[in-house]
Amino acid sequence: MTQTTPPPADPPAADSTGTRILVELENVNKHFGSFQALTDINLTIPERQVAIVLGPSGSGKSTLCRTINRLETIDPGGTIRIDGKPLPDEGKALARLRADVGMVFQSFNLFAHKSILENVTLGPIKVKGVKKAQAEKDAMGLLERVGVAQQARKMPAQLSGGQQQRVAIARALAMKPKVLLFDEPTSALDPEMVQEVLDVMVQLAREGMTMVVVTHEMGFARKAGDRVLFMDEGKVLEDTDPESFFTRPQHPRAKDFLGKILTH
Amino acid sequence: MRSIQNRPALAVIVALAALVFGGASLSGVTTLATAPSAAAATPAGAGQTYTIATDTTFAPFEFRDSSGELTGIDIDIMESIAEDQGFEVEWQSLGFNAALQAVQSGQADGVIAGMGITDERREIFDFSEPYFTGTLTLAVNEGDEGEITGFESLEGKTLAVKTGSLSEEEAKANQEEFGFELLPLDQTTTMVESVKSGNADALMDDYPIIAYGVEQGSGLVTVGEQIPTGDYGFAVNKGDNAELLAMFDAGLAELQASGEYDEIVNRYLGGEGEDDGVDRSTFWGLLVTSFPALMSGLGNTLLVTAISFALAMVLGLLFGFMKITRNPVLRGIAVTFISIFRGTPILVWAFFFYFGLPQLIGTNVNIWVAGVLTLTLNGAAYIAEIVRGAVQSVDPGQMEASRSLGLGYGKSMQRVVLPQAFKMMTPSLINQLVIMLKDSSLLLAIGFAELLYQAQQIYAANFRVTEVLLIVAVIYFVAITLLTQLANYVDRKVNK
Ligand SMILES: Nc1ncnc2c1ncn2[C@@H]1O[C@H](COP(=O)(O)OP(=O)(O)O)[C@@H](O)[C@H]1O
Ligand SMILES: [Mg+2]
Repeated sequence: MTQTTPPPADPPAADSTGTRILVELENVNKHFGSFQALTDINLTIPERQVAIVLGPSGSGKSTLCRTINRLETIDPGGTIRIDGKPLPDEGKALARLRADVGMVFQSFNLFAHKSILENVTLGPIKVKGVKKAQAEKDAMGLLERVGVAQQARKMPAQLSGGQQQRVAIARALAMKPKVLLFDEPTSALDPEMVQEVLDVMVQLAREGMTMVVVTHEMGFARKAGDRVLFMDEGKVLEDTDPESFFTRPQHPRAKDFLGKILTH
Repeated sequence: MRSIQNRPALAVIVALAALVFGGASLSGVTTLATAPSAAAATPAGAGQTYTIATDTTFAPFEFRDSSGELTGIDIDIMESIAEDQGFEVEWQSLGFNAALQAVQSGQADGVIAGMGITDERREIFDFSEPYFTGTLTLAVNEGDEGEITGFESLEGKTLAVKTGSLSEEEAKANQEEFGFELLPLDQTTTMVESVKSGNADALMDDYPIIAYGVEQGSGLVTVGEQIPTGDYGFAVNKGDNAELLAMFDAGLAELQASGEYDEIVNRYLGGEGEDDGVDRSTFWGLLVTSFPALMSGLGNTLLVTAISFALAMVLGLLFGFMKITRNPVLRGIAVTFISIFRGTPILVWAFFFYFGLPQLIGTNVNIWVAGVLTLTLNGAAYIAEIVRGAVQSVDPGQMEASRSLGLGYGKSMQRVVLPQAFKMMTPSLINQLVIMLKDSSLLLAIGFAELLYQAQQIYAANFRVTEVLLIVAVIYFVAITLLTQLANYVDRKVNK
């Protein structure tokens, strides 16, 4: 792998083997009113890891992603650290740290009133203060990488779902995030467009991007995933490698879940 | 006649056209100073400037001509006397009751307002020699003058009279003898319309008013003998300004001797018309003569709407955002504001700001301030709801995507949510603008000189209600159509 990371300002968090920890969740709980969506989540994700999150609908996968870039707050007493730094409360510091965590949504969420190119340059220009010309040059490079450079001047509504989702990935990459979160990036796509998006994600994984991916795409999980987290009712019930999970699931709920998705 | 009838005091509203197109005083005081003439004998008080109070519209004694200038029998007589006697006049066009009060409180030196000389008033005022003798007249539709020639030909017919006035007293006194029905009505305009529509066969009212209307093409003619009712006089506060009163009497005598007095009265009542070659009785004549006043009204309508809309946008955005914040205090303020101003009629606020507020704060409120406040606050309540609806209808995913890129809440609003919300809300905003333009006509109730007010002033003098309203409707329609086109054009440019 050729990707180089600049030396961090703070001494990076690292596990016992010396690998840098990019995402760390400690005693994370999340309530919506009286309903508990996340229960005692403790999790570390080292640099370059691709973690696949699986679980039935309503098990808290989206909530988990959303707490990591703090689109949702967590209950007091828990901590989330990004590259060793605790997520701050609202404000400038939060905005800056959020830029380190990219997010790709199930429904793309491209800015409907901006062109494809503007979608990708908005963050670098407004958050990082990159000059417009430079931002556009970088953006074109990224659009090239995800294969939609031809569409740079079009509006989002003029693109297919698969193209839109690839633009959304380019938009997230433009901020040079340390971690990318994907929340079911292919579930809203027509089947013939799923693969083009997965191909881009596989490529990213190969290049060493640290990723948390909520997906039910077994092929992708096996090919690109380093780790599987199986969630149910707000808890992480299994935490293992993809091969073991798909061939020898331990928890009855996991077996049940696999049975359902493999047979349909 | 003035001594009995109770006319609404249309307070202080004047010179608004001048304000728009030139910037006259904001106080509603019109200055029509006359140049002092080289009078042979110089009376005491010559060279001085006197403040003279008068009514707003009491045609033909005082009213505004098509260019918005104060004019009429009272005005011309006073100015001719001033010229003759060598003093200057500063007019205060206040409304009848307010004019009397202004003299009593010393804010004005004298009052000339078609004011009847009565014993009651002599207790408070010193009167000049009578300068006009009031009379009542009967009037009928053009063409009926052969059939109806006086009370004696009214048997079995209906006579419109003004409620509580001398015309009603006079008619009642003759009712039994001649056997006609009475139809008491509030306003001369309504009485004229009743005759024109056939609901009454004749009317009885003050001669000068009816004669001036005839002159202006009201479609009626006066018939029968005129019945004298009393004398009109110029008045000063009892014991004050004796030299002014003396000058008035001296000047009046001069005018009557020189024939200028008759010239003035004939100008309004004598069937000579204003000597400008326009036949006022045709529709075209009406259009030509009323157009300048209506255009100045339209100017005020557009200006007050534009100012109010701009301010309402600012306030509406503010309250719209306050309503969707998480802060319960701000939200509470916004919800209260919106429900108060959406839940109350505009007229209530117009009256409150113009008549009520001055009593609370102890100082006059300029009519533009009152008008703009009224339209702004009402418009802001509706715009706040439009803004809230539009912002909330933008997919929340747009905000999330922006924030996940590291843009703050404010920047995300500004760069991502608002541009999309604006695009959605422009049709509603254009709609609101049109509603506001139409609502501005309600300000006529406080005497704001907008388009419909000017129309009222015109038909209050010439009684050609239908034609004037038709012209006004067309002007509104054209203005609103053009405004909508313009707004759509801007919308296409901005939200392409
Ligand atoms: N904003 C919210 N308010 C209330 N309940 C929520 C909210 N977001 C998610 N939930 C609930 O939390 C649970 C987990 O939701 P989610 O994380 O979206 O599940 P998943 O993505 O695994 O399908 C669900 O029961 C959902 O109804
Ligand atoms: Mg989900």
